[in-house]
Amino acid sequence: MSTRLSRRAMLGGSLGALAAMSLSACGVQAPMSIPQQARTGTPSPGGTMRIARPAASAAETLDSASSLGAYEYLGALFNRLVKMDEEGQTVPDLADDWESDASALVWTFHLRGGVRFHDGKELTAEDVVYSIRHVLDPDVGSPQAGTLESMFGPDDVTAVDKHTVRFSLQTANAEFPSLLTSYHCYIIPEGSAAEIGRTGVGTGPFKLESYTPAGAGVVVANEDYFEGRPVLDRIEFYSIQDTTARVNALLAGQVDLIAQTNLDHPTARVVTGTEGTTVARMENAQWYTIPMLYTSDEFSDVRVRQAMKHAYDPQSLLQTALQGEGDAGWDNPVPPGLAGRLEHNREYDPERAKSLLAEAGMEGFSTRLYTSSYEANLTPIATAHADQAAEAGIDLQITNVSADSYYTETWMQVPLMVSYFATGRPLDQLLNQIFRTGSGYNESAWANEDFDNLLDDARADVNESSRMQKYMDAQQLIIDESPHMTPIFGDRLVGLSEKVVNYREFSFEFDYLNIGLED
Amino acid sequence: MATFILRRLLTGLVTLLIASFLVYFATAALPGDVAQQLLGQDATEEAVAAMREELGIEQSVWLGYLSWLGGIITGDFGTSLVSQEPVSEIVFGAFGNTLLIAVPAILIGVVLSVLLGVIAAVRRGRAADSGISVGTLVAMSIPEFVIATLLVLIFAIALPVFPAVVLSGSEATLGELLPAIWLPIITLVLAMAAYIVRATRSSTIDMMAGEFARTAELKGLRRRQVLTRHVVPNALLPVLPVIAINIAWLMGGVVVVESIFNYPGMGALMIESVSTRDLPVLQAIAIITAVVYVLANLAADLLSMIIDPRQRRTSGTVSAKTTEEAA
Repeated sequence: MSTRLSRRAMLGGSLGALAAMSLSACGVQAPMSIPQQARTGTPSPGGTMRIARPAASAAETLDSASSLGAYEYLGALFNRLVKMDEEGQTVPDLADDWESDASALVWTFHLRGGVRFHDGKELTAEDVVYSIRHVLDPDVGSPQAGTLESMFGPDDVTAVDKHTVRFSLQTANAEFPSLLTSYHCYIIPEGSAAEIGRTGVGTGPFKLESYTPAGAGVVVANEDYFEGRPVLDRIEFYSIQDTTARVNALLAGQVDLIAQTNLDHPTARVVTGTEGTTVARMENAQWYTIPMLYTSDEFSDVRVRQAMKHAYDPQSLLQTALQGEGDAGWDNPVPPGLAGRLEHNREYDPERAKSLLAEAGMEGFSTRLYTSSYEANLTPIATAHADQAAEAGIDLQITNVSADSYYTETWMQVPLMVSYFATGRPLDQLLNQIFRTGSGYNESAWANEDFDNLLDDARADVNESSRMQKYMDAQQLIIDESPHMTPIFGDRLVGLSEKVVNYREFSFEFDYLNIGLED
Repeated sequence: MATFILRRLLTGLVTLLIASFLVYFATAALPGDVAQQLLGQDATEEAVAAMREELGIEQSVWLGYLSWLGGIITGDFGTSLVSQEPVSEIVFGAFGNTLLIAVPAILIGVVLSVLLGVIAAVRRGRAADSGISVGTLVAMSIPEFVIATLLVLIFAIALPVFPAVVLSGSEATLGELLPAIWLPIITLVLAMAAYIVRATRSSTIDMMAGEFARTAELKGLRRRQVLTRHVVPNALLPVLPVIAINIAWLMGGVVVVESIFNYPGMGALMIESVSTRDLPVLQAIAIITAVVYVLANLAADLLSMIIDPRQRRTSGTVSAKTTEEAA
């Protein structure tokens, strides 16, 4: 083992920040930069991959419809009707083809033939109908139910024949298939709702061997998978609560990949610099937001909201808070690379911010900006944002509150905070779920009738280009008037072993089929 | 002596009762509840309400306290709000795992620290003394999570001798746990040694200056005999409460250490139950910790009576002093 490794290792781990400080203090150049691309290559067939994930609660389940779904298992065990590709387009999964009537009211999906569940049963349209009704079941309390319910009820989804499913929507929606790409919409065998949370019987590339909620579990290759057998023989999942412990397990070679963990920048450098481990990135996976509460005294005036936006430069915020690992958001919530994104940035103009505040009689106003250690980058973003706002004469006092009650006691209750989502929602769902009046995820509590109408018109518009124009107009409205800021999108830095090849993960898709290990 | 023991037992019970009261109301005052924590950011209001009803967490705090206390007395800690399993099963399983690192840590830590303390006292002012003093002070000043991280970096990553974490969580078998207990044990020993070493050293120096020690020396006993038969037993008396406090501290110290090693003990369980607001589990852990505190102090008192015959006669006054020091 080289001396370079041990010194770096000594400085590293949980002491990431300390490590960065020590490195610069000693005049040592920081190690190589973080790789842009995951390693690709020809894996050796078979092999066992060990994945560490954050420990979920003991109430977690393999039922994807639930809000307590064991996320990492789902993509290995199940399929949906349709999935998403890297550009955000809807592509085939269990359905190989679909079409709608001219008004986008009736949608028909044609299933692949000859697909079998892990227990040998053949997949039919009845299973699909059953699975979708399961998501709509009020007792399940599925987070996706609200989105689907707004368009159809349990009786509106029917099996036409063995391999054809029909959805009769109550309101037209030309983007309907994209809403079925949700990771809550996996297809389960008919009648299995009661036990699916433990059995995990799906059609996916891996079959369940063992599973303990919040503990360890194993999936093994499904030899009969319809797209061919996966490269790996088995995947072992382990739950490790503490982020430092998860990183240590990777560095010590006890696991090959740490899932659902965004490494902070200093730690990512330690992982990159250590022999045997490296870092891959999920570009723009973290969507950082600063919601201004629409119902608060401070932000009910549109001029104050516009001033808040003009007052800061997302590009420089990105450099300060994330060392440039991501993209500037310019207050547009649609991530770069997603089809339908409005490619026009607002201006950065602190002088205009000042005059807007003067107009509103709020010159040099002061409020608290809430943050917490819930996610590693929230506080760096809050600090960088407050520094920039200060230049426009806005006094934001950073208020750091407890992480374990951040989303129950602070979120949607204080005038100004730093928050985040994972990107990966299809365009229509993104705009409807986070910005429509009254939606449970509308974190800035914005209520704008014009915006809601624009979304309704877009859904009903079957012409692709004029529909996309409406979604772009909706984005412009968010930038100009909404109380919601999207300063930056951050890359998720994923730690993995140097043996791992063909790691590919984007939005809510993980490529379990092609990932493998080199000897 | 019997009345004294009885009195100490009663005080212990009252302490536990007060502790149970504080524990119950402090945990009940935590912001957010299990339904919100479980369902998280994705929760719909209907789902939260439905789950609250299902778990029966809407009842009054006072009623809750009384029925909880009644349950504890009959040995029933209730049911976990998260996993729906009996709390006693979950907590005692984790407690057993914690003992697996705590007991060796206490044994090794106490023996080693007393030994080092006596050596430092005997070699007062010489290289050995300075070495031990500086070493223990350094160990005491570094927080245990830093020590733990350094140990992982050296002995699990740079020289892969021990595993960095326990992978299997609460399902881990004894065979999987055994290789993983050493780094936590070393961490705990390093973190608690300093206090005991310092206390032993100063009390041994005091005793060596005592008249009984000089008398023994003048009687012609060899130095080693003076030390082992007369000085050390007496020097240990004021150290016992320090040891007791350290044992009790260990119950808190394991929280950080277990979390760094992903060790499935009571500390890790406590962090988990705080973040999921699984109050029955959290309350049981707090009560067990309080019991360990009370028992450790009681044991220290009894032990000092065994070592020091004088304390058996004086009813209360000396022991009360010892307890104060312990507190």
